[in-house]
Amino acid sequence: MRKFIDAILTPAKQAKALGANQWQRWFLQSEHRFTITGLSRSGKSMLFTSLMTVLKYRSEEQYQCLPLLRFLPMELVDKMWLEPLGNLPLFPVQEHIKDLEAGHWPPATESVAGFKLVVRLRQAHQLKKYLLPYTDVVFEFIDYPGEWLTDLPMLGKSYTQWSDSAWAQQMNAPQQRYAKSWHDCVNAFDFEQPPTPDRIMQLVDAYRRYLQEAKSQGISMLQPGSFLIPGSGFDFTQQGFTPLPSRISSDVASPWTQCFTQHFDAFKQQWLTRLKKDTFRQTDKQIILVDLFEGLNHSRSHLYQLRETLSHLADTFVYGNENWFKRNVLQQQGIAKVAFVATKSDLVPVGQRDALLSLLKDVTRGATARFKDGEVQFEHFLVSAIQATDEGSHDNALRYMNHEGRYMEAEFEALPPDLKSMPAEEHYPVLPAAVPPDYLARILNGKGLDRLLQFLLEK
Amino acid sequence: MKTTEDSPYRAKIQQTEIKAQRPDHAMPVKQEQDDWQPAHAEQTGLSAKWWVLLSGAACFVGFSVFEAITFIDTHFATAPVSTSILAVLLSVFVGSLCWLTGSEYRGYRRVNTFIDKRPTRNALVALSQPSLAVKKLDAYASHFSSGSYAERCYRRFKSMLQGDHSVEEVIKLYQQYVVEPVRKKANDVIKKEAMASGSMAFISPNHLIQTLMLLWISVRTIKRVAQVYGLRPATAGNWKLMKILAQNLAAQSLFDLATDEMTNQLSGSLAAKLVENSAEAVAASALNVRLGKALVKLLDDQSDDKKLGDYR
Repeated sequence: MRKFIDAILTPAKQAKALGANQWQRWFLQSEHRFTITGLSRSGKSMLFTSLMTVLKYRSEEQYQCLPLLRFLPMELVDKMWLEPLGNLPLFPVQEHIKDLEAGHWPPATESVAGFKLVVRLRQAHQLKKYLLPYTDVVFEFIDYPGEWLTDLPMLGKSYTQWSDSAWAQQMNAPQQRYAKSWHDCVNAFDFEQPPTPDRIMQLVDAYRRYLQEAKSQGISMLQPGSFLIPGSGFDFTQQGFTPLPSRISSDVASPWTQCFTQHFDAFKQQWLTRLKKDTFRQTDKQIILVDLFEGLNHSRSHLYQLRETLSHLADTFVYGNENWFKRNVLQQQGIAKVAFVATKSDLVPVGQRDALLSLLKDVTRGATARFKDGEVQFEHFLVSAIQATDEGSHDNALRYMNHEGRYMEAEFEALPPDLKSMPAEEHYPVLPAAVPPDYLARILNGKGLDRLLQFLLEK
Repeated sequence: MKTTEDSPYRAKIQQTEIKAQRPDHAMPVKQEQDDWQPAHAEQTGLSAKWWVLLSGAACFVGFSVFEAITFIDTHFATAPVSTSILAVLLSVFVGSLCWLTGSEYRGYRRVNTFIDKRPTRNALVALSQPSLAVKKLDAYASHFSSGSYAERCYRRFKSMLQGDHSVEEVIKLYQQYVVEPVRKKANDVIKKEAMASGSMAFISPNHLIQTLMLLWISVRTIKRVAQVYGLRPATAGNWKLMKILAQNLAAQSLFDLATDEMTNQLSGSLAAKLVENSAEAVAASALNVRLGKALVKLLDDQSDDKKLGDYR
């Protein structure tokens, strides 16, 4: 009861303390917190860059972009600006634009960055115009390395559980193909010797080599992904761990199991808990970016592995109804809207986009099955943050400029509408499209962002 | 992303180098300023309506002068020149008014064509291809007069269309960029005309002139709203509107009688006259709004299976 009363009184106390700013937040601001969940290489940074560019040119230059976005009518947009988000460094949009100008795609994200984007809308209603002259629509975005995301499911597991599941994954395709050296190393390793820093590093180095090889071959479920890039702040050279064969991990008296359990717990406490709190904060809307081309480029088993990864990720977020009372009074919030987005959809010709959308639905089947009935609204979208390709000579072809400056026409055979239709011995090589010189116009002509934002913003 | 050119699998994409020039993408179209005004604002010189107004005013002045002269010299036969001038002025006034009303009437017959060609939402949804829906809308939009607000909105709608839009999205865009702005603009025009109607009623010296003013403003309202919807000037309305127009005139006359009686009961003071004129102005304004709303309803049917439609 005390907790309930506190929950009711807290907003009032905050309002008293913050004064006018709080009133402004309550009555003049409509906040939309987005979690953009995307695995490594899913196109998060390019999507952010595109989103900020399109909204800027739409608001300030009056370019007619995002035609299906009715929630932010162009004639009512007064201005738009960026604000820092907490203590996070600002998203380097200018650097990314410079990269594009120099003909390079934005580099992979290796550290967290965030921003708050505020769009001020003029009040259209005659009477409200005097009482509430404007409404600020506030978007909060956080960019982070996709490698961190795959670590989140580890929070809910003990070391032994994680080790067993990681080991099981490595024994199956497609990971199995890249794990041979790592398995050879473990098989030759003498676990009767006590764990010393050197021996631990020997295992950790071998495991990291496996993770790097698997990553370069399109595997998305790699734990711990934080071991692959700097920036997490967790020192794996001092507190490293790897999965162990079940004959070792099931022996709780083994010094190796004890040592790795201790390091695993430190990893969860020192890194993952903070990561979830700071980066994956409470939100009410989630965009899950899916790079289907990574799977199509490699093999059917890669796509199955992607489905499994997405299914695990859905377990790590809290989903539920967007209820005003729960959100504002009880301070409870779940994600009420989820958009599954296949990025880089311009790499597929017009005639195959329906099949791509269908494939996206099939790949995310495991994740959508976890949503409570009716409480979570979800939809699937095809988005191209930049229109890097051109129409081909027919509906199943497209054209693009490759990195050597050659203008290519790619003819597609029918894409599989679901996983079971994907032939095991065939693949769709990803098209190495270069950054077009008219990148700005192609960003503004990007497809699907308006549909996506309208879905997420509409009541 | 790493490509797998050395993949052991068969590639399902065949690539060939082509010699064509890569097309440059144009920047999206910029939003135009919403500065559209009914055609009358751009006209130069005196229009027929001004002739009606001026000749009416001239008649009023002429008759007043004539009455004054009569008062001085009650003998009508002694002022043949003045009576001749007054007769000419009155003829011009009546003639202009007849011409204006006649040209408006001709439009009543044409407007039905405009309404009948309006596509229904259900018919558009039934089309499998977005391009067919656009074609159908194009056919309808070809009836929008050049330079009209509807035509301008339609041009903007066309610039918004993208290759990946579905039929449903095309309809939503049409709703957002044509139907809604046109409706909003029509309501703005009605508000302005209602204000003009009220002002005229307030300052009109007698009931005959007030009725003529109301008739004129009503016809003008029909015309201006029709212009917003892309109907050519002087081609607005049908018998339903005529009925509303007649009802408006009758209602205004009844209201005049009521306010006269009220003024008589109160007193003949200036304040009572002011109250009477104010009440008549409000009534004239409200009646004009009623006419405008009826016109918008006619040109902008909101049902799915009828025409143009509110595609929400």
